[in-house]
Amino acid sequence: MNSLNVPVIKRLIAKDWLLFQKQMAAYVLTGILSLCLLGMARPWSFYIGSLLLIIVLVATSCFAISTSLINERKEHNLAFVMSLPIAPLDYYLAKLIGNLVTFAVPFLVILIGTLAAILLTPLPDGLVVYSLLIFGHILLAYCVALSVAMAVESEGWNIFVMIASMVMINPFMMGLSQIESIHGVIRGEAIIFSSAAIVILTTQVVVSLLLLVGTGWVHCRKVAFY
Amino acid sequence: MTVAFALTGIHKQYPQFTLSDISLSLPHGQIMGLVGVNGAGKTTLLRILTGLVRADRGDVRVLGLRMPEDQVAVKADTGFASEDMRLYKSQTLRWHMDLIAAIYPGWDENYARDLLRRFDLKSDQSIGGFSHGQRVKALLLLCFARRPRLLLLDEPTTGLDPVARSEVLEVLSDVLRDETRSVLFSSHNTHDVEQLADSISFLHQGRLIASQDKERFLDDWRRIVCFGDYTPEWPEIAAARRNGSVLELKVRDFCGELPARLAAHGLTVQSVDPMRLEDIFVTTVRAGAPA
Repeated sequence: MNSLNVPVIKRLIAKDWLLFQKQMAAYVLTGILSLCLLGMARPWSFYIGSLLLIIVLVATSCFAISTSLINERKEHNLAFVMSLPIAPLDYYLAKLIGNLVTFAVPFLVILIGTLAAILLTPLPDGLVVYSLLIFGHILLAYCVALSVAMAVESEGWNIFVMIASMVMINPFMMGLSQIESIHGVIRGEAIIFSSAAIVILTTQVVVSLLLLVGTGWVHCRKVAFY
Repeated sequence: MTVAFALTGIHKQYPQFTLSDISLSLPHGQIMGLVGVNGAGKTTLLRILTGLVRADRGDVRVLGLRMPEDQVAVKADTGFASEDMRLYKSQTLRWHMDLIAAIYPGWDENYARDLLRRFDLKSDQSIGGFSHGQRVKALLLLCFARRPRLLLLDEPTTGLDPVARSEVLEVLSDVLRDETRSVLFSSHNTHDVEQLADSISFLHQGRLIASQDKERFLDDWRRIVCFGDYTPEWPEIAAARRNGSVLELKVRDFCGELPARLAAHGLTVQSVDPMRLEDIFVTTVRAGAPA
């Protein structure tokens, strides 16, 4: 197996970052605004803030995938990129890391901001676990959409998966509300990681990782890049 | 003799199209024109050479290396521009030049500036604001200025206005003067191919129907106009068209004794003329047999 062309992979990651940094900054700013609303700890501001926060997270993940992968294929930029001295694995890693970075920066900023807002304001600290599970779902939905975008060329399927995986946040939240060990501690001040919460969080992270590894395997077996 | 690329027994199947049993090579330092109608398989062949498409079977060697296994090393020394390849609309040409310059150590900034001037391109303009001709020229600039050993150009002059086409052909001629560089370019414009290529290959319906030196191509073919009632059906007659007593023959593998042979069958030969490449191509395709 040939070694990776690391300098070009770095260039391609930097390219994607440069292409999307302005939009990502806008998402981070909107995320901070929603955190401010959350931090006010009033019922109306908490509702609007949490709704805005979820919208920003969904928009961040969809934007990164649709712009860097789906549009690149649609606009015929893929042939240009693949004509550079890279192998399919180099391209996969560049896209994977580029996407994870462009997604992870606003995701982590908002995640840390959310935890800070919960811990440093009158909001009950019991929300920490519930919030982490919501963020875990967004991460999993993002990985599903990213994997499909890398493996499947159909724009229709990509849009369907992107919307479906994100919309699943509603039934997911409803499901969490049925689990007493998670929902029952939201209003308390103690941060309790119940076994159910740990199992869900672990599943979200492990499935996300497996999806990304599996996508790399599929991508390296593709026979056309244009 | 070293070769820039060698394809042996290449086969690629699509639901509606098959590229069959292609064996073709380009000697180092030569320019090959790949001629075919739309859908003949030119783009697929070029994509296989660049690693964008993997052949179902067959052996692909480019610059002495195996494809797609060694594609990173091959692409480092190859410039590929295709009609359906696009740059990033939101970014300027300068941004693309910087990206390519950072990746290819052989990038020649002075030559790139010279090409900017000759192509009348503005490096600080967004690609989204470029016309089709400007986009093609920008792509060629990015290819040429990296000084690759092998250039693979898919329809580089298609859709260009006469001025842009002339600018591109002029620069292409300059590039081709460098004998260390090999070029394969596809076109359905036989005039461009006739002007630039050392050797010519005809591709039709996924098959290679002819491939040889341009001079030999042109030497081998003749258009003969004669009078008489006899219509020869000899192997070298690729096409025969009669209008009353006037008979027009298009002949491959022409040899000097043919007019005498026609005369021996009662035909009066009026003229024997060389044929243009376009006419040779059309006759070859219609005859459905190797040139």
